[in-house]
Formats: sequence, C-alpha cells, structure tokens
Amino acid sequence: MPATKSDLIDRYLHAVKFWLPKAQQEDIVAELGEDLLSQVEEREAALGHKLDEDELAAILKKRGSPMRVSSGYLPEQRLINPAMLPVYRLVLKIVLCWVFVPLFAFVFLGPVLTFARPWEMVLRCAVEYWRAAFMTVGMVTVVFALLDRYQVRFKRADNWDPRKLPRVPTAQDTTTRWNHLAGAIFGVAATGFWVYLMWQRSEFSFPGGARLILGPVWGQIYWPVIGMTLTSAFFDLLSSLYPRWARVRSRVRIGVDVCALAIVAVLLKAGNFVEIAGGNFSVADLANKTAWFNGLIGYTVIAAAVIEIGDAIHEVRRLLRSKHGKPAAIPTT
Amino acid sequence: MHTNGASSELFDNLRLELRRGCLVVAILAQLHTEHYGYALRKALAGQGLVIDENTLYPLLRRLENQGLLVSQWREEEKRNKRFYRLSPLGEEVLPDLLGEWHQMNSALERILGDREFAAAPQSGSHSKEEK
Repeated sequence: MPATKSDLIDRYLHAVKFWLPKAQQEDIVAELGEDLLSQVEEREAALGHKLDEDELAAILKKRGSPMRVSSGYLPEQRLINPAMLPVYRLVLKIVLCWVFVPLFAFVFLGPVLTFARPWEMVLRCAVEYWRAAFMTVGMVTVVFALLDRYQVRFKRADNWDPRKLPRVPTAQDTTTRWNHLAGAIFGVAATGFWVYLMWQRSEFSFPGGARLILGPVWGQIYWPVIGMTLTSAFFDLLSSLYPRWARVRSRVRIGVDVCALAIVAVLLKAGNFVEIAGGNFSVADLANKTAWFNGLIGYTVIAAAVIEIGDAIHEVRRLLRSKHGKPAAIPTT
Repeated sequence: MHTNGASSELFDNLRLELRRGCLVVAILAQLHTEHYGYALRKALAGQGLVIDENTLYPLLRRLENQGLLVSQWREEEKRNKRFYRLSPLGEEVLPDLLGEWHQMNSALERILGDREFAAAPQSGSHSKEEK
C-alpha cells in the first residue's frame, strides 16, 4: 500500500525528532512540519495536482537526511579547545615517543636478551605498548576535555612576555643540540649495557672456574642507576628536540648528579663490592685479588664521583649565565 | 570554472565563510517586519538571497537564543506558524552591524578599484543553495 502524504512527512519528522535535544524536539518538529507542508502546497499549486509519493519523497530527500537536518539544531560541540591542540599533540608525542618507547625498550630489553624465544617477548612488548598507548591517549584526551569543559585557563598562555620568548637558534645551538642528542643516545646505551650486565645477576663466571660474586650493594643500586640514567637520557633528548627546555635539563642534570653522588656514597659505604671465588687460586691469592678488584672499583667509583661533581658545577654555571642574560652555550628560555 | 574537485570544495568553503555573516545581517534586516520561516525564506529568495532551510531555521533559533529575535506561535491560514521579528536588542544591534557592513563594503570597493575580475557563472556546484 502506498504511503500517504501525511504518513511520509510524519515518518520523516519522527526520524528527525529522534536526533534532536529533548527540550526542543516538539517545537522544532512543529516548525519543520509547517515548513514542509508549505513547500508541498506551493509545489502542488505549481503542478496543479496533488503530489504523488515519489514527488513527495523527492522533496524530503532534497531536504536532507534526518540526521543531517537535526545536526543543524545541535549546539556546536568540541572535545578539546582548538587553542590547546598544539599542547595536546606535544604531550602525546612526548609520552608516546619519548617516554614509552625508551621505557618499553628498557623493560623488555632484559627479557628479550635472556628468554629462549625472544620473538614472543618482542610481540608481547608490542602488544603491551599499544595497550598502554591507547589508554594513555584516552586519559590525556579526558584530561584536556576536562580542562576545556571547566574552562581552565593557563596563566602562562595569557600572561606571556615577548621578551621571554626563546631566542632564535644559532649554529652553536645546533651543535649543542647534537651534543644533547649524543647524551641521550649514550644514556640509553648505558642503561641497556647496565641491564644486560646486571639483569638478575649475582655473579660472573670465568673460564677455569673462577667466579666474581657481586656484593649485595649492587642489588640495592640496580634500580636507582636505571632511573638516573634514563631520566638523564630523557631530558637530554627533550633538550635536543626542544632547546627552550635546556634550563630544565640543567636543573635535572644537577639533580641526577646529586643522585649519582648518593649512589657513590652507598657504594663506598658498603665497601665490599665483589668477592672472587673458585678457580685454581690459593686462599691468599683469592684474598689479594679480591682486595685488588675492590680497590679498582673503589677508585673508579671515586673518579665517577669527581666527574659528577664537575658536571654539576658546569650545569650550575650554565644556569647562572642564562639567568643573568648572558648568551649561554645552550638555548635559553 | 573550478571543475577540479578540490578547488570546487575550496570555493564552496570560502563562499560559505563569505556569506555566513551576510546572512545574519540580511535576516535581521528582513525581520524588521514579522515573518514566519517559510515566508522569510521566500522573501529573501525573492530579493536574490537563496537560503537553504537547513541553514535558515537553526540560524533563526540561534539568533533568538542570542536575544536578537523574538518569536511566537500563531494560527494563520488554519495552520500554526512561528512568527519571528526583531527584538529590542536586535533593533539596537542591527544599525551597528549595517554600519560595519557598509564600512567593509566601501573598503572592498576601494581595494578593488577599477580592477575587473571575471565573476564565475552561477552554475554547477557553485550555484548550490546556501548551506
């Protein structure tokens, strides 16, 4: 049975109504219905006959799909303030690329190198990465949506000062960028080496049966060393990508140097770094070798501490120079 | 003219932006006299400003929400129709808007000067009704 004029229009209006805000549904549909009837009447007057089903359907089709028609009445909605989109992208880029990738590489490096079926571990790493990435994107998006929802304004965005904008990078800055990048690569490599060397390790075995038994202090400093080197590498990487954050990097470097000194203090306090056992050595030989080895490690640790102190002084000088407006060797904010 | 899909889409977007503000001025000016939606659309079209229904009705509601228009349902020709007219605020704002429009129009006239630009014929995708 062919649909009547009223039936087709009613069905159309009902479909439009479904998508409309509840409070305005009746009002909008009544006005839309009136407009359609006026249009139909005008068309009928022009043609000189009542519209058939096809002609009426053509009018409704020209008006647009119910969802499209209703969309015009909906308030403009957005999830994130367009002004915040660059910050949103920057946050995601930092988290997904510069935090997650090194973190996952670090967490899975040990298992990949030691597991019997490394490809399974690589696959698991990839799956876990995507899971974490999706969750992070979701959480960051929710945070930015809430900031927009509650109209949080950033003081820094409103109270900016042209005189505090970062200066245009010079050739020297470019060199410094490469230095930061080299620092980041070295930091990641050092972390990887540390993990490879110390992952669940309590001793090293050598040909001939000799064993180098690690003291408990190495277990105590295992995670602090990783945290310290990765933090340093991360901020080096950020400084190479975003030179204006070099001051932040300097502060972090000073913090890392202080942590390194604390680790050195823990090591020196422990004193007994390693013990040598096994092999064809006499007890006296073993004692001598152990003492020699511990002494070597002790001097190396002290040398490392001196280097860290020198680095900390260097970073403090950098900070002071940039603070007093002198062109520093690094880009400043 | 603009047979390329991308340039046609670009033209449509630019045209949309260009006409968006003008439509508000035209509607406010037309509603010095009370009209219901369909009659308003016919009146505007009669003066050369074709406007799509799906643009007109949401725009009328927006202007009413902004306090520039007032409306009331009334029976006419045995059907209930919603009549719109300028509100006191609309009466106040319209002259300012028109002044702004005249100023912009004069500036454009001066910028264009004697230079002649071939106008695209109103055909194909470019002659679509206002979205």
